Amino acid sequence: MTIVVTTYLVYLAISIALTVWVAHTLHKNGRIFLVDVFHGNDALADSVNHLLVVGFYLINLGYVSLALKLGYVINNTQEGIEALSVKIGMVLIVLGGMHFFNLFVFSRMRRRSNRNNNQQPPVGPDAFTTVQQEA
Amino acid sequence: MLTLTVLYDPDCGLCRRSHEWLAEQAKLIELTFVPCQSEEARKRYPQLNHDLTKQDLTVVSDDGAVYFGPKAWLMVLWSLARYREWSYRLATPELLPTTKRVVSAISQNRYQISRATGLTR
Repeated sequence: MTIVVTTYLVYLAISIALTVWVAHTLHKNGRIFLVDVFHGNDALADSVNHLLVVGFYLINLGYVSLALKLGYVINNTQEGIEALSVKIGMVLIVLGGMHFFNLFVFSRMRRRSNRNNNQQPPVGPDAFTTVQQEA
Repeated sequence: MLTLTVLYDPDCGLCRRSHEWLAEQAKLIELTFVPCQSEEARKRYPQLNHDLTKQDLTVVSDDGAVYFGPKAWLMVLWSLARYREWSYRLATPELLPTTKRVVSAISQNRYQISRATGLTR
């Protein structure tokens, strides 16, 4: 097996493992947020959670496979490890970006849902009057 | 607070069009529309100054709190599911003066706006 192929295989193994780990973390911890957003509707929260994780996998694995090709020749193990490091670094940054974007989506959903439950009017009244109840 | 009564100006096309639009919106708080200075309005609120309600939009909650002018607009916005967030945004100290200016300008010129946009009867 040439050094390039070894590099590719190690790259794929690490990237996919990282993606699975981050997605799993997101799936496990995001659920609590979503249950709160949907006011304890577990079925809906699980469904949205699952859909978000699927999107997360698609984008990340898509990026991993697009970024696989090296485009230059590797002559020894040192260059192989350097190339691998650059590739993994990029995957980590994309994963981090996606992860924070997901957190942003969760927190925005949560804030919005809390806002709509807010019973406090935006402004105070100008005066009070008596209300004649209809007979 | 469970319902808001909106005292609108029945002579203004813009107000009637807004009334139609509001009726279609999803609400978090029920809105009741009563023409201002009408028999019904006087019967419901015997102590309210009904000359003022003709000047600008007035909203009265079921517990008797009166909101007048720009505040009434914000309360109507607040009652709508899609725009509740906006009512808070427009009521922040930074935006409230602008909100009041814009809303008052629309209110004061509602007949001209109705005429210009062809909303008159």
